[in-house]
Amino acid sequence: MWVLDTVYRDGVDLWCRDASGTVTRKHYAYDPPFYLHLADPSAHHEMLDVLEAEFKAEPCSFFTLFGELDGFSVHGNRQLAEQIEQQTRFDARLFNVDVRRDQQFMAEQGIFPCGDDPGSRFSADFSCSLRRMEICIRDDPARTPLCTEVEVTGDCTETLHGPGHTVVADLFGLVESIDPEVILMSHADTWLPKFRAFSVEKGLTMPFSRNGKYRQMSSRSYWSYGRMEHKEAALIPDGRVLIDTDESFVYREGGLAGVLMASRLSGLSPNMAARFTPGTLISSYEVYEAVKRGIVVPFRKADAETARKLADLRAADRGGMMFQPKPGIYENVNELDFTSMYPSIIVRYNLSPETLENPSAKGFLPAVLAPVVSLRRETKERKRTEPRYAGIDTLLKWMLVTCFGYTGYKNAKFGRIEVHEAITARSRDILIQTKDLAESMGFVVLHGIVDCLWVQGSPVEVLQQRIGDVTGLRAENEHFDWIVFLPLNDGFGAYNRYYGRLSDGSMKVRGIAARRHDAPDIIRSMQQEMLEVMCTAKDTGELARVRDKVRKIYLAALQRLPLADPRTLAISRRISRTRYTHRCLEGAAVQAYRDDGVEVAPGMKIRYIVRDARRYQVDPEWRAKTFDVPYYRSLMEKAWNDIAYAFGGRVMRPG
Amino acid sequence: MQIRLRPGITLRVGTFSAVIAPEHVITAALNENPELERFLFLFVCGNYSRLISHIGRTASSFEVRRPFTADQLLTVIREAAHTIIFIEHDPSLFETAERLLEPVGSALKEAGREALVVLYAPSMDRPFAALARQADRLIEIVNTGEPDPRQRMAAVRSGHRADGRPQAQTTLEVQ
Repeated sequence: MWVLDTVYRDGVDLWCRDASGTVTRKHYAYDPPFYLHLADPSAHHEMLDVLEAEFKAEPCSFFTLFGELDGFSVHGNRQLAEQIEQQTRFDARLFNVDVRRDQQFMAEQGIFPCGDDPGSRFSADFSCSLRRMEICIRDDPARTPLCTEVEVTGDCTETLHGPGHTVVADLFGLVESIDPEVILMSHADTWLPKFRAFSVEKGLTMPFSRNGKYRQMSSRSYWSYGRMEHKEAALIPDGRVLIDTDESFVYREGGLAGVLMASRLSGLSPNMAARFTPGTLISSYEVYEAVKRGIVVPFRKADAETARKLADLRAADRGGMMFQPKPGIYENVNELDFTSMYPSIIVRYNLSPETLENPSAKGFLPAVLAPVVSLRRETKERKRTEPRYAGIDTLLKWMLVTCFGYTGYKNAKFGRIEVHEAITARSRDILIQTKDLAESMGFVVLHGIVDCLWVQGSPVEVLQQRIGDVTGLRAENEHFDWIVFLPLNDGFGAYNRYYGRLSDGSMKVRGIAARRHDAPDIIRSMQQEMLEVMCTAKDTGELARVRDKVRKIYLAALQRLPLADPRTLAISRRISRTRYTHRCLEGAAVQAYRDDGVEVAPGMKIRYIVRDARRYQVDPEWRAKTFDVPYYRSLMEKAWNDIAYAFGGRVMRPG
Repeated sequence: MQIRLRPGITLRVGTFSAVIAPEHVITAALNENPELERFLFLFVCGNYSRLISHIGRTASSFEVRRPFTADQLLTVIREAAHTIIFIEHDPSLFETAERLLEPVGSALKEAGREALVVLYAPSMDRPFAALARQADRLIEIVNTGEPDPRQRMAAVRSGHRADGRPQAQTTLEVQ
């Protein structure tokens, strides 16, 4: 049974695809109970009588992460669970209240989406040959009621152009005739509600869903890794996969293969997997695994950290280890990178909420993360020669990155802050151990960030081997012919701003305009052009010889600047708020959007061009006609300074 | 056992007090009262405590617990068996858990029958007001005296007085 989509509506609907590509709906009656534990059931006997009479409550025992509990199974919904909480003055412990029922059904049945061989869930070799259709809409969804220019690619490419109502009606016709299993559509989640309003008004049937039904996800703004993100409301069709190619992080990073892999692991429909963050995916994966193993999932996160002495807390809560680099240019440098360091630590050191008190028990987190870690090792290796594994590898990388942060997340079902701290404590020990080891073997340690170490010296293969032996973790090596560690404003080395030439002839760049999404195109492409020239230099001697050529790129860009197309100067920002107490360019941009009738929400991305920086005057990208030349010249100069440092800094050679 | 916040303002065992005060007043009250070392002290704060890095208490009787959800806060209060329970208010805990304001307030009141319970915030907000409704006393100390040393440093850096007014020019500019 190859499941393409899953929905819970008075039972579970599985949309299954057969070998011929026909998709049909299978309905299963399913009404799982949630579980209730009371410290003193006799104190709530009246409530239990009602639950027994009206909600089929029955005494039972069930397994939590920390062991077996006696309690009751109750057939009811979340609302009932919340009433029980109120009634018991929040003494009740509830489980399996908010697990997605379609996911729970599949976990219990041992099936998963996008695959039909039960043994292949952790395999990177699965079919992605779905009938797909790409819909590229040229219009701006924030400013136009209906699209007027659309390119549709199925078996062939068609362009639809004309009045909105005609284009949308034609698009509906194409979806119906091609009948794709997967639709990849730009800004799908913004367009679909508009299409629905149009279809209701004109009496048309919107053909994205196979049975005319849509699930609704509401819009929200949320904090993720220190920045505000915004998710549009979404209409999700039944029986067909619809991916918003602009908004889906998983699709952007991992492509369709990444979305399908996320769905296979998490047990969520690809429609949901495409719309969730890696953090939600890893948590869904843990929930699927818990249900599969017969462990109930807590409804509320009520178990707080244990009481600690202040000194213990200060010692434990210190995060990752850093070694600050000395800014400069270095030749023959090796970057040793621990593959999936934090998840590997969880697995190797058996770190899980329940093993903190009972270290000899086999931990839930290590058990469920181990197959993902080994799958990541495999895809990381295979993508070097087979690019089709790159999307899956990236998805796994993100899921594993977030699995660590998730242990400390306040609402993590299977997280606990002490586990988070134990992981970082181990990582600090490992990085220090590795540094000491490298230095004892005659290497010079230049820089270190959490799970990476930059060293000069040889033989690096022996060092790698020794690191593996001592730490039990695998360290990958990338060799730089030369690398530039940039300075901070105060002259000390920046942790995360560097670039260099790898021995395969490519450049690795971090933290400068060429890699920053917020930098204007004109500056990003200027720096990329410079780096392409620098990439031809195999050592610092050759690098010095391309200086004039690189400088010419800068001077030419400066000269062209006054005549540049304003759209190439757009600055992208993800806004964290919509009200600003101080005057700033970002605040002016938010106001400019509003003046043009575009509603903004925290987490949304905006693009603006600076018309007059001193007066805080900016224009949205679509309105810009002029720009502040001196302001952009200063941005260009900053970008040049990052590059020019490679020609002026001190060269450090090994030994 | 009591904590002296200001002359004439003391907090005693067997009460639940809601206190609004400048941070330096509270840290001074916690750091400069050696008698507190003799009692079991539980300091409760969220993920972004403004006080904890300024507390110089190292006694083994001084313990910290950090709830990151309102449900965890309720558990922490219910499990506390300390003589002094000090809660640094974190409004973010209640952003999606307003349902717990009343039970948490009641748990603080209940704990205040046996212990000295302090709910502290530097300024009033809606969750604090809801929790403080069940307090025996609401104490607000307004910063009229000497400024917080940290505030003073920030003012010096920004070229303003600690009260926010611009500093007068003290040297002549040389062209």
